[in-house]
Amino acid sequence: MRLLTKTTLWYLVFALIMFTLGGIIAISMVRTVVNRETDYELRTTLRQIRNAASFENGLEIFNKSKSIKIREFPEGVVIKTDTIFKDTLIYLKRTDRVEPFRKLITNTQLEGKFYHIEISNIFLEEEDIISVVSWIIIRLFLFLTAALMIGNFLISKKLFRPFEHLLKSLDNFRIKNNEPLSTVATQTQEFQRLNQFAEDMTNKAMLDYQNLKEFSENASHEMQTPIAIAQGKLELLLESPDLTEQQLSLVHTTQQSINKISRLGQALTLLTKIDNKEFSSKESMDLSKIVVSNVANFKELAEMQGIELKEDIEPKVKIQIDAALADILVTNLLKNALQHNIENGWVKVKLTKEYFEVVNAGEVPKLPPEQLFQRFKKNNQSKGTLGLGLAIVKKICEVNGCEVNYHFEAGKHLLRVTF
Amino acid sequence: MKILIIEDEKELLDNILAYLSAGDFVCESASSKAEALDKLAGFDYDVVVLDIMLPDGNGLQVLSHIREENPDMGVLIVSAKNALDDRLRGLDLGADDYLTKPFHLSELNARIRAIFRRRKLQGQTVLRFNEIAIHTSNHEVLVNDSSLELTLKEYELLLFFVTNKNRVLTKQAIAEHLWGDNVDYLQNFDFVYQHIKNLRKKIMAYDGKDYIKTIYGLGYKFTDK
Repeated sequence: MRLLTKTTLWYLVFALIMFTLGGIIAISMVRTVVNRETDYELRTTLRQIRNAASFENGLEIFNKSKSIKIREFPEGVVIKTDTIFKDTLIYLKRTDRVEPFRKLITNTQLEGKFYHIEISNIFLEEEDIISVVSWIIIRLFLFLTAALMIGNFLISKKLFRPFEHLLKSLDNFRIKNNEPLSTVATQTQEFQRLNQFAEDMTNKAMLDYQNLKEFSENASHEMQTPIAIAQGKLELLLESPDLTEQQLSLVHTTQQSINKISRLGQALTLLTKIDNKEFSSKESMDLSKIVVSNVANFKELAEMQGIELKEDIEPKVKIQIDAALADILVTNLLKNALQHNIENGWVKVKLTKEYFEVVNAGEVPKLPPEQLFQRFKKNNQSKGTLGLGLAIVKKICEVNGCEVNYHFEAGKHLLRVTF
Repeated sequence: MKILIIEDEKELLDNILAYLSAGDFVCESASSKAEALDKLAGFDYDVVVLDIMLPDGNGLQVLSHIREENPDMGVLIVSAKNALDDRLRGLDLGADDYLTKPFHLSELNARIRAIFRRRKLQGQTVLRFNEIAIHTSNHEVLVNDSSLELTLKEYELLLFFVTNKNRVLTKQAIAEHLWGDNVDYLQNFDFVYQHIKNLRKKIMAYDGKDYIKTIYGLGYKFTDK
């Protein structure tokens, strides 16, 4: 739910409570005022009766009124004078309903005689008060709701624009793109702070990322020259006459280690280069051709290992990918399948318009499948492999919008790249 | 054979010079683009080994210059691995071959000689090693004037041996030469032995001597010494 919708709803809930309370207060106030007014009127009538009593037959005129009853106490009766107000219900013929009435009942002495006087006055009905007050309150409430909704729309259009903009830029922010976060200038203090904070955070993150990337890039790149030098020196050393077998073996082992470092550096450089989008030329590549030529390349090597390499390649499968990456992707999957095979095993390569699949015979994996694509996670630590081949495959799939999945079942490893 | 090596890393240059000078090469070197252009203006070379990354410019500029001035000169480009662009541009601009760093010096030697044969001798060359004669124009190998039936890999292996005669060749260098960089996934290169064995058998069948000396655990050396 959007923030503004939420605040509006809360406002409305709050307003509903306040309006209800207001309504109750209004009703009781109106009733108090009405009571007071009615009582005032009753008293006025009583005063008029009193005034009239001083005249001859002055009270008769009042006895004609339906709302006034005057009864004279027999002479010589002395009663205590008092006045009370009372709410009562009286049947009214006119409306054919029982209506609430206010009654003034008094025992009083007029011109030396005692009277019992009852004056009644129709009372404003409570229901009427409630309905009028409710009518006003409900309309006010509806008006407020409409006003809030319009206000909401206008506010979100104008006031919240910097906020919405910031959200959108954060959504689109990619640390790898190295583009600063775009924000709009605003006079709102909170948004200013938020913008500033978001800008600082993203700039810092980008800087850190760049530094880290440059470091790993440089480290793996700068490694290559000294490695090449060392390799050359060792090769020259092998040429020296009169080396003993033991010495030759030492040189050779060193060569192998240096060779491994070199391949490691190259693989890491490749990973960062893919990350850096240095292979971003997306051409429509005939993947079938690439797979066919790679399978042909590996066939002899597979045979020498005693592994049967079978293929089922649909011709003219085209995907959008960088030429070099397509080649590395296919090569790495093939190498992986040959590497993690069994004696007299097999590899099946299948290419269709939807996917590229390499299945091979192999032992039960020791790694959980989700770790397979992580760097330096190796199924067999003792083997001389780098543990980067599938990480590279995954990275290539990532930047080209493909999906790579691994599955093991009944002695079969299946790796499938879905386009 | 006169060679110019353009490489800015001194130690790498020394390695190459030390390795190649042991053969019948006359080697000169340049460590910058300016020096390279200077030498190219003054002397004639059979093959130029060109590093793409130079301190004062791109090796590809030197390549264009060479192609303008001297279309017959052989050029072997050397550059970092995975720089596919450089490779394609280099070959477009008329380089003869491309080698990625790091490389085996024996591989460099073989590539230079292959370029030389193609360029200077128009492929019409016979490599001789005592009773063995390799006709590179038609891939024919004669031992004591009898033609050998060799597979393509056996032929390439023999050629690699002869161009790197008297040098120690590790099994890995041989495997990479024959099957390319892709062999890096293999745990060992013992399968090379199978090809060596076959080659040896075929040569000896025509009374050729066994020149392939095994260096235990390491590799082989083709020598008559």
